Amino acid sequence: MIEVKKLTLKYPSGKGVFELDFSVKKGEVMGYLGPNGAGKTTTIRALLGFMHPNSGSCTIGGLDCSSKAPEIQKTLGYIPGEIAFLDDMNGNEFLRFMHDMRGTKDTDRQKQLIEMFELDPKGKIKKFSKGMKQKLGIITAFMHNPDVLILDEPTSGLDPLMQNRFVELILREKAKGKTILMSSHIFEEVEKTCDNVLIIKDGRIVKESDVQTLKNSQRKGFTIKPADIASASQLLQNAGFEVCNTADDAIEVFVTGENIDRFIKAAAQFTILNFDVKTQSLEDIFMQFYGREGK
Amino acid sequence: MSFTLLKTVLKKNWTLLLIFFGVLTMYMTIMISMYNPNDMEALTSMLKMFPPELMKAMSFSDMVTDLTSYLASWLYGLLMFGFPMVYCIILGNRLVAKMVDNSSFVYLLSTPNSRVRIIITQGVYALASVALLFAALFGVGVLVSSFMFPNTLDISAFFRLNLTTMLVNMVVMMISFFFSCLFNETKLSLGFGAGIPIAFLIMNMLGGASADAEILKKLSIYGFYDGVEIVRGAKVWGVNLVYIAAIMILFTAAVLVFRKKRLPL
Repeated sequence: MIEVKKLTLKYPSGKGVFELDFSVKKGEVMGYLGPNGAGKTTTIRALLGFMHPNSGSCTIGGLDCSSKAPEIQKTLGYIPGEIAFLDDMNGNEFLRFMHDMRGTKDTDRQKQLIEMFELDPKGKIKKFSKGMKQKLGIITAFMHNPDVLILDEPTSGLDPLMQNRFVELILREKAKGKTILMSSHIFEEVEKTCDNVLIIKDGRIVKESDVQTLKNSQRKGFTIKPADIASASQLLQNAGFEVCNTADDAIEVFVTGENIDRFIKAAAQFTILNFDVKTQSLEDIFMQFYGREGK
Repeated sequence: MSFTLLKTVLKKNWTLLLIFFGVLTMYMTIMISMYNPNDMEALTSMLKMFPPELMKAMSFSDMVTDLTSYLASWLYGLLMFGFPMVYCIILGNRLVAKMVDNSSFVYLLSTPNSRVRIIITQGVYALASVALLFAALFGVGVLVSSFMFPNTLDISAFFRLNLTTMLVNMVVMMISFFFSCLFNETKLSLGFGAGIPIAFLIMNMLGGASADAEILKKLSIYGFYDGVEIVRGAKVWGVNLVYIAAIMILFTAAVLVFRKKRLPL
């Protein structure tokens, strides 16, 4: 549904995105992750046709993002990373305006979404809190029932309850076969909603993986307090494990999923006084990529 | 053209138009009420007390005796450039650059409307509002004159005067609009969109003040015609056509530049 091929979009400052290659299939939820300034919003600008790329191409539903933007917009929902609405409108006026501009037929879905996110769209948008503006942005992006959704940090400013509602919404849309590209900094949200993730750093994609594989590559850390630290270290090292001495009387070993059994059997050979498991979260895995190549 | 957008733009900007219409109506009424058909001599002699260069810079002519030329000189020589210019600068910047600068433009593009369509709508509003302003001022002029000095105003000449003044102000509108489309930042849009029309106005004043600097007036868009001459029957179709051409060229350039450019939204 979304196809990005060798996309390069450079800014005069030399920053930008370079040679991006990825695709999001119909019905797929793709997480788009990376540190600030990595190029997430730049990629989204190219997808929405706000900026024409220097080279390469991107298409949505087979339509070129630069030249066919108005047509793409018929079936696209977008939440900008930095939401600014038209000044001096109240929430209802704005929703009606977007409704009319899009030529949408009915307002049922709009009403459902307003209920779901408990938004009171009466007052002036200028006076809305950040969370309320974000809710209005979400409703605007989903209310015309688009097939493709491009969401730039969709839950920033939302309280945890509303973040959960949002996750529910995404899962429901996914079940309907919608295609979603979502940038986020909230790992829990990504873990719950995304099938696949892309990690971008300094304008280049450094990792593309499905969330399940990424989770399998999670390493577990075992902190062991053996009776005899020297012989225990020796035994584990001989078995091919990486051993770090964290304290005088304890060692830490990192083990990936498939080596757990071997590790337990190796550890059974010496006396253990205490034993602790530290699970590396998805967040820790992302952090590895965030930090890498930067230096 | 998107009528939904046009309606919204009108709703957002009609107060601005009303303010300028109000101020200019006030000036128009005061100016007409100050006209004294029997005592133009007194006014002329009072004018003689001021340095003639200053009078010329303001485009005030001491040769006028009839109401229509009097308005052409006193009202349409400077005020009908200066005030609408401020309106054009504010509106031109508001319609595009300000919305791009504060990112709210993103919502116009989040609809199945092309950039070209949106910009044409904004530009049409800009021009239509100037047209409306001058049509209304023409009406006010005719009404107030017929109330205070029945049958004194040469309506046909006053109409031609308003038409050309409207066209020159539309050129100014399109200058501001063009820079609003060209730049993504309000700072630059306002810098050029205000700077160039102000420069033209100053050139017009300097050119009027001294014979040596007359070339400046000729180069200023405001100096292409003389309001008093229009009232006296001078044909300015050539000038009108130049203005119309300038409006169309600037409008087209604004659309083309906006269609291609990178929007930091």
